[in-house]
Amino acid sequence: MKEAVLQLRNVTKTIGRRTIVSDLSFDIPAGEVFGFLGPNGAGKTTTIRMIVGLISMTKGEITVKGVSVRKQFEQAMTHIGAIVENPEMYKFLSGYQNLVHFARRHSGVTKQRIDEVVQLLGLQNRIHEKVKRYSLGMRQRLGVAQAILHKPSVLILDEPTNGLDPAGIRELRDYLRKLTQEEGIAVVVSSHLLSEMELMCDRVAIIQGGKLIDVRSLQEAKNSVQTKIIVESSDIESAHRLLSGAFNHQGVTLVGDRIEITADRSLIPDIARLLVKAGLDVYGIHASQQSLEDQFLEITGGEMVV
Amino acid sequence: MVGFLVLALGLMSGLMKWDESRSSGGDWKADLTQQNIHYQTQMAESKDTDSDYKEHLTKQIKTNEYYLANDMNPYALSLWDYVNASASLVMLITILTVIVAADMIAAEFTWGTIKLLLVGPASRSKIMLSKYISTMMFALLLLILSFVLAFAAGAALQGFDGLSLPHLNVGSDGVIHESSMIVDSLQKYGYAVISLLMYVTLAFMISAAFRSSSMAIAFSLLFMLVGNMVTMLLSGYEWSKYLLFANIDLTQYLPGNSPLRPEMTLGFSITMLVAYYVVFQLIAWTLFTKRDVAA
Repeated sequence: MKEAVLQLRNVTKTIGRRTIVSDLSFDIPAGEVFGFLGPNGAGKTTTIRMIVGLISMTKGEITVKGVSVRKQFEQAMTHIGAIVENPEMYKFLSGYQNLVHFARRHSGVTKQRIDEVVQLLGLQNRIHEKVKRYSLGMRQRLGVAQAILHKPSVLILDEPTNGLDPAGIRELRDYLRKLTQEEGIAVVVSSHLLSEMELMCDRVAIIQGGKLIDVRSLQEAKNSVQTKIIVESSDIESAHRLLSGAFNHQGVTLVGDRIEITADRSLIPDIARLLVKAGLDVYGIHASQQSLEDQFLEITGGEMVV
Repeated sequence: MVGFLVLALGLMSGLMKWDESRSSGGDWKADLTQQNIHYQTQMAESKDTDSDYKEHLTKQIKTNEYYLANDMNPYALSLWDYVNASASLVMLITILTVIVAADMIAAEFTWGTIKLLLVGPASRSKIMLSKYISTMMFALLLLILSFVLAFAAGAALQGFDGLSLPHLNVGSDGVIHESSMIVDSLQKYGYAVISLLMYVTLAFMISAAFRSSSMAIAFSLLFMLVGNMVTMLLSGYEWSKYLLFANIDLTQYLPGNSPLRPEMTLGFSITMLVAYYVVFQLIAWTLFTKRDVAA
């Protein structure tokens, strides 16, 4: 793995007796889109807020490009751009004035850069209007603009697709891809939209109950996931008996009025021949791939709320 | 905000001029002479008027005699009168600045912009300091504006002849002293500025504590308006001298006024104010810097 731009080591947050985040550790290299996945209350937002310094860590270390967030806050923050939940700008200022205001605290953000970022996010037509007239999608984009002004190494987005319509989500996904490819930024996204994560992320960390359950690469996940073959037949019990006998080692289970067989789709023709030879009516045989959602629910045991 | 101040100044200056034009006419010299006779009669007649009042009357008589001797009409307004009157507008300036101070931190939380503000290459201490400085600069701007505008109004309405008029006061030696009007005006402003500083720092602390615009403004104004009254009511107790509002008005130590409690001195008040100031800033800093922003 390339050198990590963002590193978490044993990050813990305890409030009173409740441990909200427990011993979180992972690395994120440059140019990667890293997803944070987890049920409500898992600790995703808390972790993100700890990375950007809004919440203090009880224990642990967070470093950005080798600089500790706790010990050298100002320097660490020059490498981070973030949107925490819905980005709120000053409504009485125009989008442009907001950007100028936030650009001032970073050294080296030129007027050119501001214009460049405005173009990148497609805001040039409305940038001089007051923010109170912006739609949510535009405010989201303005938030991203503000976050990348100073060319950070890490862009952190907490629930960025909240309230966006499908077109908006698609656009955001495209901008993020552009950013990682053209500017080499590492992007950390936390979201509930599993389907979106599937399309956006390279790797995904699954968090539950404040603990890191797993980190998996989506490419590997696609490759290694178990295909299931679903069989529908009129006499499902006989079919089940038949197939269990034939594929005993393969996990043949009766689920409701269907049979699920954990096997590769290359077995489908054999199953078909078997069933037909035995004179059973076959209504359908197809391969179904376990989606990220299924994997996620499997790992977290189906718990959605803490 | 600035508009308020300008409006108030305009109104006040206008009223002063109007009032003057109503009461002028008539012989001021005869008036003063009459007054002196009246005061002297008062002093001779009442044997048990307290010495403070008698002293006050004596001073008045002396001042009137000085006016008469030097041919100065005390009723004619000079431009310095406008400037001095504007010193009382510092109360308005304080209220305006208190509103700004109360909102400084709280509004960022109410608007939600605090999340963007804190996530940047500036420590929380730096952010807080810069907000405090801008609030003070706002107050300074209003003060300068008030002084300059009052000066201009006075000059426009009364002309520049009064520019060199001296300020009269009776020294402890019983003799009239002339001093510079500008120094006197600046002194008046100076005292008012000290209480402004304390009120604003208090409001700033409340802003850091409450994180809600409406709460912060409400509490700051409440303290400001009610604090004085409550302290007066409590002035019977010895410990009341330790309250903030007992010490906030330093003009109580000027000749002619008396402090809230007899044992209080200027040095004591200054010490109390400094202590309160440090405590306010410390509380504000701790609350802003150390708390999590979880909402």
